[in-house]
Amino acid sequence: MLLPDYYEFCCRVKIVAGHDALEKIPDLLIERGAKKPLVITDKGVAGAGLIDIVSRALGDRVQADLIADDVPPDSDLRVVNRLARLYRDNACDAIIAVGGGSVMDTAKGINIVVSENAEDLMAFSGVGALKRPLKPLVAVPTTAGTGSEVTQVAVIKDHEKHLKMAFGSYFLLPDISILDSRMTLTMPPFITAMTGMDAMSHAVEAYYCLQKNPLSDAHALSAVGMIYRHLPLVVKNPDDREGRLAMAVAACLAGIAFSNSMVGLVHNLGHATGSVCGVPHGLCMAILLPYGLEYNLHKMADVMAELLLPMAGEQVYLATPAEQRAQKVVSLIRGLNEDLHAITGGRHARCLQEIKDREGKPSVPRDVLPQIAAAALLDGASIYNPEDTDYEDNLMVLEAAWEGKPLDRSRVKKG
Amino acid sequence: MNSAAVFDFTCPVKTNSGNKALEHLPVELAGLNAVNPLIVANARAVGPKAVRTLMNAFGDSKMTLGLFEGVTEAADLGVVDHLKNICLEKKYDAFIALGGGKAADVAKVLNLAVSLKTPDARQLSPKTPVRKRLLPLVVVPTAGADGLETSGFAHLNRMIFSSEFLAPGLAVLDSRLARARKGILMAATGLAALGRAVESHVSADRNPFQKAYSFAAVRFVRENLPAAVADPGNKKAALAVLNAAAMSGCAFSNAASGRLHKLGQVFYELLGIPQGVIMGMCLSRVLEDGFREGSCDPAALLQPLAGDDAFARTPAGKRAEAALALLNRFLEELRGALGKDLPKSLSEAGVSGYRKEEILDVLGKDEDGHYLRGVVEGMAGGKRERKG
Amino acid sequence: MSIIKDVQSGKKPLKRAYVAIFLWFTGRAIQAAAKVDSEVKKEFEKLPEDFTFSLGCLPCGPWMVVGREKGVVKYLGGDSRGRPVQVRLAIKSLDAGFLILSFQESTALATARNRLITDGEIPQALAIIRILDIVEVYLLPKLIASLAVKRYPSWWSFGRKLGGRIGVYTRTLLGI
Ligand SMILES: [Fe+2]
Repeated sequence: MLLPDYYEFCCRVKIVAGHDALEKIPDLLIERGAKKPLVITDKGVAGAGLIDIVSRALGDRVQADLIADDVPPDSDLRVVNRLARLYRDNACDAIIAVGGGSVMDTAKGINIVVSENAEDLMAFSGVGALKRPLKPLVAVPTTAGTGSEVTQVAVIKDHEKHLKMAFGSYFLLPDISILDSRMTLTMPPFITAMTGMDAMSHAVEAYYCLQKNPLSDAHALSAVGMIYRHLPLVVKNPDDREGRLAMAVAACLAGIAFSNSMVGLVHNLGHATGSVCGVPHGLCMAILLPYGLEYNLHKMADVMAELLLPMAGEQVYLATPAEQRAQKVVSLIRGLNEDLHAITGGRHARCLQEIKDREGKPSVPRDVLPQIAAAALLDGASIYNPEDTDYEDNLMVLEAAWEGKPLDRSRVKKG
Repeated sequence: MNSAAVFDFTCPVKTNSGNKALEHLPVELAGLNAVNPLIVANARAVGPKAVRTLMNAFGDSKMTLGLFEGVTEAADLGVVDHLKNICLEKKYDAFIALGGGKAADVAKVLNLAVSLKTPDARQLSPKTPVRKRLLPLVVVPTAGADGLETSGFAHLNRMIFSSEFLAPGLAVLDSRLARARKGILMAATGLAALGRAVESHVSADRNPFQKAYSFAAVRFVRENLPAAVADPGNKKAALAVLNAAAMSGCAFSNAASGRLHKLGQVFYELLGIPQGVIMGMCLSRVLEDGFREGSCDPAALLQPLAGDDAFARTPAGKRAEAALALLNRFLEELRGALGKDLPKSLSEAGVSGYRKEEILDVLGKDEDGHYLRGVVEGMAGGKRERKG
Repeated sequence: MSIIKDVQSGKKPLKRAYVAIFLWFTGRAIQAAAKVDSEVKKEFEKLPEDFTFSLGCLPCGPWMVVGREKGVVKYLGGDSRGRPVQVRLAIKSLDAGFLILSFQESTALATARNRLITDGEIPQALAIIRILDIVEVYLLPKLIASLAVKRYPSWWSFGRKLGGRIGVYTRTLLGI
């Protein structure tokens, strides 16, 4: 295990996990002096009946009947301000966020506004603008993937001014994250597959990107093993409670790993593909992950090789010569995507050209690849990728991922 | 993962480790809204050079620092009360504990007293409710740290204060402070880290989050302690051992206090013997007994101890024995390298029969007292045979 | 006498001077590279007309400020003089600044090691980092530059390297 010359690691979130972890929330809130949380979520989560489960679990020891279930998937400053007003008008003293990335980001934004008594959220953007703890925030993730229940960043858009504001502070970390198997039990197989692959990409990228450190490594290794084992099982068998809990825990471990070690090319291109074509993040991650490994392989082969044991187990590990282990990891991830493709009846796309929208039209036509490659230059994840990337590099990777062919590694520019 | 029950995990400590880590302190403190920190140190234990290194790290920051160098092994709540009054008057807004042991204990309880504005700190007890966040606390462990610095525990006046709010918000591990003058100091730090990490790693109720910390701690000790002991000037190895200690404290805060910890603690509190020395003495015995009783799972240790290749080559059914054998060999080699410096028994550690009785008395009050007393008897040394 | 001593933090004049000189040098080099290198020029042209960025050390400096004035890239000294700064690259301490500017730690590595805080819009900050990378390749001998950047551009033509290097050097020193 390598000790970098210098590293930082932080995850202050209290993690509570189990089949009935939600029931612990009242005690945890009371311990922190809160009795009246504002529950925020989105229509999808509420429609799936998850808020009913949360409400029942909260019982009557705290007053949690104020529920805002209309956070849009593409939340923005207006939503943050409106819900912050709701919070203040009702003298709430904590926030419970139930949902995925958009709900978590919105909750973090509300928390800044109500804790700092801010009129203008913008004044707190950037890194280090927050100097003290905010109100208690309880995160209840409903997808086992994003890891946003343990990240210290929030991105909030201002649709009117066409701005995307990033906030970064350890004070944005939720106080408590609740990992409860009931929250993911009804997630449809193809969404389970792609959010699970998002978590996998967090763990794998965290393990080979530049900010890796012994603690992010330990979290990543354990996440990779759990996801590789459990993901195909829960996709095949959605009612598998143990598998669901394991995936929630693994996604959280992966979230801790990547928020401390950052992500690279896979997320860089994935963010760009998402914003140009509007395709789901997890699907991009699943498709691009093998390419991120291949692109950086000449620099990080030894490190990538260490992922083989947790993924494939002792037999495969021993049977694979040391110098082929990194390559084996790549093919196992491709194999996992193939399996997920088969189990979901083809809904889990294996390459960019297979992604279809609701009408069955291809979401990523080949001629937008240059646009994606250019958009990727504007994304921060490139900083942490082991190998440098420029426009041509991005395009080369995207073209291979579009066709679904392994990357021709002889074409990767090496310094 | 024991999924039948709900488990939880917290590690409030941020880690900054490595080259020039101390120099980031002004920025870290500013981020916590603190501008006027008080440094709490046992200058005799850490030496004047460590104090100077820490003070110099603030160079060019235009800050004013309070410095209390007078922590001793005898520090108690009386000292805390005295310090608290000065702190409230001078409005220190953060605490930095330099060095392990009592300096960290005093800083934690002082932070509690100042944050709660306790009228008389001598009245503080483990029952004092701690519900809110305290002022920012930074620990700067030096060679000779025991790992408890990063935990939510503080030992003072023979009382154990425990709360996640007592744990520091930041641990700064700097290469310049990691080096020890003598190999035995490094060994004591490493063995204390190993003891607590192992105990947490094999316990039945461990969870994956805690395991990340204990895994990394065990592997770091295994990979770096021999080098750090052989050459106390080896910065990189020493820093890795210090990292292991910090990680072990985080894992330990989330585990039930185990037998090794209890044994290490009682000898340290009563006789001032470094915890790692005692834990090293009884590590194998406690693990073997736990394995036999079925209360712990040493097989989990094989991967961090042996490395990936050896782990993969060992069949599942043989892993516990293999891990125990490896651990024994590791400890033997350490004893070989340190010779007389690392006592193998209580008599070698200079514990007289009379002091041993005192220890046995205290342990007798523990719920696990019968067992712990047996272990201490077995550690006595001389001709006595170890029995299973 | 109180058992607590209050101590003023000291000063580090030598390190400070070294960092200040290298920041000055880097600032002038960016100004020069913006004239000589087409890629640096292109990067700047994509930024707003009055774009200003700063690079320096927390908590008390030194800093260097570079900005566009009517489209022309200029080194603006060690102080933004009230100009709004769109991107701020802040090194967490003077000592870390010394590590970076004495090339013991590359910019990429310093970022990876969490020593650099980037404030401002991400696309603009990334452009600045790319510019710094190119300038480092010009200013430093290959051996040192290949430590400072992730991938030493071995595919640049010899002409770009040599011609560019001479241009950047003379302009840096003459301040044109
Ligand atoms: Fe992601």
